[in-house]
Amino acid sequence: MVVGDVTTGTELLVIGGGPGGYVAAIRGAQLDLDVTLVEKDAYGGTCLNHGCIPSKALVSATDVAHAAGSAEHMGVHADPAIDMQGMVSWKDKLVRTLTKGVEHLCSDAGVNLIEGRAEFAGHDTARVVHDGEGEGSESISFEHAIIATGSRPIEIPGFEFDGERILSSRQVLSLESAPDSMLVVGGGYIGMELATVFQKVGTDVTVLEQLPDALPTYEDDVTEVVRDRAEELGVDFHFGHRATGWEEDGDGLLVTTESDDGEETFAAEKCLVAVGRRPVTETLNLDETDIETTENGFIGTDSKARTDIEHIFAVGDVAGEPMLAHKAFKEGEVAAEVVADEPAALDYQAMPAAVFTDPEIGSVGMTEAEAEDAGFTPAVGQMPLRASGRALTVDDTDGFVRVVADAESGFVLGGQIVGPDASEMVAELALAIEMGATLEDVAATVHIHPTLSEAVHEAVKGAAGRSIHY
Amino acid sequence: MAFEFELPDVGEGVAEGELVEWHVAVGDHVAEDEVLADVETDKSIVDLPSPVTGTIAELHAEVGDVVPVGDVVVTIDTDAEVNGDADETTVDAETEREGEDAGGEDSGETPASGGRVFAPPHVRRLARELGVDVTSVAGSGPGGRVTEQDVRAAASTGGSDDDDVASAVSKVDESDSPESVASTASDDTEPKAAVSKVSDDGDATEPESAVSNVSDDSKRSAVRKASDTGEQRPAAADREKTLAVPATRKLAEEEGVEMDAVPTEKTQDGHAFVEPEDIRTYAEAQQATQQQEATAVSETATAGEATTEAVTGEAAVADGEVTREPYSGIRRSIGQHMEESVYTAPHATHHDTAVIDELVATRAELKPRAQQRGVSLTYLPFVMKAVVAALKEFPVLNTTLDEDNEEVVYRHFYNIGVATATEAGLMVPVVDAVDGKSLVEIAAETADLTERARERDLAREEMQGGTFSITNFGAIGGEYATPIINYPETAILGLGSIEQRPVVSDGEVVAAHTLPLSLSIDHRVIDGAEAAGFVNTVIEYLENPTLLLLE
Repeated sequence: MVVGDVTTGTELLVIGGGPGGYVAAIRGAQLDLDVTLVEKDAYGGTCLNHGCIPSKALVSATDVAHAAGSAEHMGVHADPAIDMQGMVSWKDKLVRTLTKGVEHLCSDAGVNLIEGRAEFAGHDTARVVHDGEGEGSESISFEHAIIATGSRPIEIPGFEFDGERILSSRQVLSLESAPDSMLVVGGGYIGMELATVFQKVGTDVTVLEQLPDALPTYEDDVTEVVRDRAEELGVDFHFGHRATGWEEDGDGLLVTTESDDGEETFAAEKCLVAVGRRPVTETLNLDETDIETTENGFIGTDSKARTDIEHIFAVGDVAGEPMLAHKAFKEGEVAAEVVADEPAALDYQAMPAAVFTDPEIGSVGMTEAEAEDAGFTPAVGQMPLRASGRALTVDDTDGFVRVVADAESGFVLGGQIVGPDASEMVAELALAIEMGATLEDVAATVHIHPTLSEAVHEAVKGAAGRSIHY
Repeated sequence: MAFEFELPDVGEGVAEGELVEWHVAVGDHVAEDEVLADVETDKSIVDLPSPVTGTIAELHAEVGDVVPVGDVVVTIDTDAEVNGDADETTVDAETEREGEDAGGEDSGETPASGGRVFAPPHVRRLARELGVDVTSVAGSGPGGRVTEQDVRAAASTGGSDDDDVASAVSKVDESDSPESVASTASDDTEPKAAVSKVSDDGDATEPESAVSNVSDDSKRSAVRKASDTGEQRPAAADREKTLAVPATRKLAEEEGVEMDAVPTEKTQDGHAFVEPEDIRTYAEAQQATQQQEATAVSETATAGEATTEAVTGEAAVADGEVTREPYSGIRRSIGQHMEESVYTAPHATHHDTAVIDELVATRAELKPRAQQRGVSLTYLPFVMKAVVAALKEFPVLNTTLDEDNEEVVYRHFYNIGVATATEAGLMVPVVDAVDGKSLVEIAAETADLTERARERDLAREEMQGGTFSITNFGAIGGEYATPIINYPETAILGLGSIEQRPVVSDGEVVAAHTLPLSLSIDHRVIDGAEAAGFVNTVIEYLENPTLLLLE
């Protein structure tokens, strides 16, 4: 031991204070474990500081503006002015409120909070390195550790983030003013959400995607609704284009792409690169443990969130796809419970996911094709929102609710929803799946009229072969 | 169908095993029970028999890999047709008896169909708690949904393949030893007779009170629980629905009381309404009953030999419920043996530590050589050699006390018992004439005996004739303990875990491999000084393994 190096002991060391880490820490403390949480940046992680929350704040703000400005057919005449600075500072304020909230939740639960970067110094020791020279480090010996270091945006070679012209999703959320034009490299969910946001604040957005369509993980009819809406808003899509390089062009830039039609150049003021995220493990000094990362850089875990080392767990983005905050919540909770000897396990039957585009996508469980592949005979019910009274009254009728069930037993297997508030509607189907509910169970449940959730009800009835309203 | 064979728990509490040899290759056809591989644990080398018939699709580990229990070691494409029920049952019984089953601890999460399990989350959690593989439970709910009752029923019939504590009871019952067959049979008939007897006794001594009918009911339910673990407890009040404010529910949980069982005459909106005082009254009544029951049970136990087996048992309180397991068969004979030892021989335990860096090096050097002869060399043979050397120096530790003739009997042979934890309980197979055997011979014999002990495949003579015993509790973990002498022997040496620990060397604290030793002696025969001298000699040999060459 180096002189001046202080060693403390803890039952549970949590590395990273994002959704996976802080939930694990709080749950651990609730179960009477002595918990130490080390965070190097800001409590709440990417989700709260640079991801879900700030992006949804901007989505909502721009939706308000856009809806107000395009409601003349409803008898509303308005020409909203957007003050980007005001919007961003409102967003920053609520992010601050939430990060403080997380910090308080942790300390109220009795979690020992340490600021710094934790790295392994062995199988049962970690070193916490503090920022700044002369701050030194401290050692923490632990009985159990939970790795929750999260992920960061992938940089593509030649497009390193400079915060000026080439922006990451994190940087684009803090722009002080809306650029006149913006290229978005990557048509996945992050690219699509932000493309919509900026198109709505008046930026001229062009999406460059290497694959033949946007949102490649979703079925074509789901993607189509979102892509059509984005095009209506004015987003320009170029599929099959791979961004190969860029050069400065006055205050803006010129991005070169390659496609089957050869090289092409696109000019814009800014370029957002949103081609995915990769796990953060390089800060951990994993060599000190026997934990090895997978081909894609993730830390492999079992159904109890354990790594190859029995007493070290990994949760959240660093533990693998899908990179979703609510998956991290679940994993963090389970890991802490396993540490506390509870009979917990990651036994969820489906992981719901949402894309906050306009309109939203909500999905859970199996698609029809996946159900078939899994050996079920799918019974499918689909309710278009144009047949929903509530969708008409909120003036948003593009999209549908689709429910996939097992024809034989009636068990609900999955659902795909595209439409307003799809992210909320999908929760009902997630519950049905986890409970092992049948179509009959959901069909027999009374739903409020007029609501969008009636569309779920109707789709379920459709799958059961007895829809009333469609 | 691809069958993923997870490394089963090959010994008690063994967390991992080193793959020593594959007996099959990809593409080989294997029959059920055919040996797939040899796996070495820190205790022994065990065979991995195939749980299914099929073709080897993939080997997931290489020779030399250390595989954690529960990891997939091999994927087998099973032959399409499903065996007859009778066949499968036999296989289950067999694999379970061997403590080697296909489902690892996490098999509750193995997807049934297309990755889906049709059971609500709380039922899946319950299944884990009871050690039931939820995918193997037939659901009785709508569409075949697995309900809480289904899981409890599966747990009580031992229908699960899981290797958890909860199912251990039924596992013992399923094995074919005479004792457990008897107890299985009695499960169906005798306990009921015994139950009514207990209840009667309880009633007779019970003070009159307003809650007497309550305690009567709860008692019946508790006792019935004993005869049929896992079945839902018929409650004192047996409502479907009970209204109560959340605080009251919390209190019920804290008191371990089932809401629907709490008697109340209050109603709200036509439903029974329970208030905190109802919970407290009921909880107190339950406790009182439990105590009476315990007394009644022990009385019954001494009263008649016939009912003893049915009603005695350790009352373990979990979640406010009582489950009873038969104290019979091996468990009881171990218990009687312990009782005899502790009450006959005044125990004293001497603790010391050997610093064994040299032994660690020596063993590492010899291990591959031993391997070539097909023997896995653990530390135990070294310790056994050292013990024999020390016994020769301190023969009083190799004695037995002949109380009838008032003589101390010195044995001039060295038969060392090796305490082995098995699924059925503690066994002490004996390695005969250790003084005349080489390390490799001792290692091979010990591995064979302990493995067969785990399989309950030991002849009675193989556990008799010991003169001194060793217990290696450190294999499971821990530094020091108080071993109980394997009576009528007069001493037993307990080994702690070999780990690096701080020791002082030349005035500096350094890390060194140490082996904590705990020697229990029969203080009637052996003095503390002799005990210390003996341990010092053992330490001398362990710290200087070359001395073993003299032996």
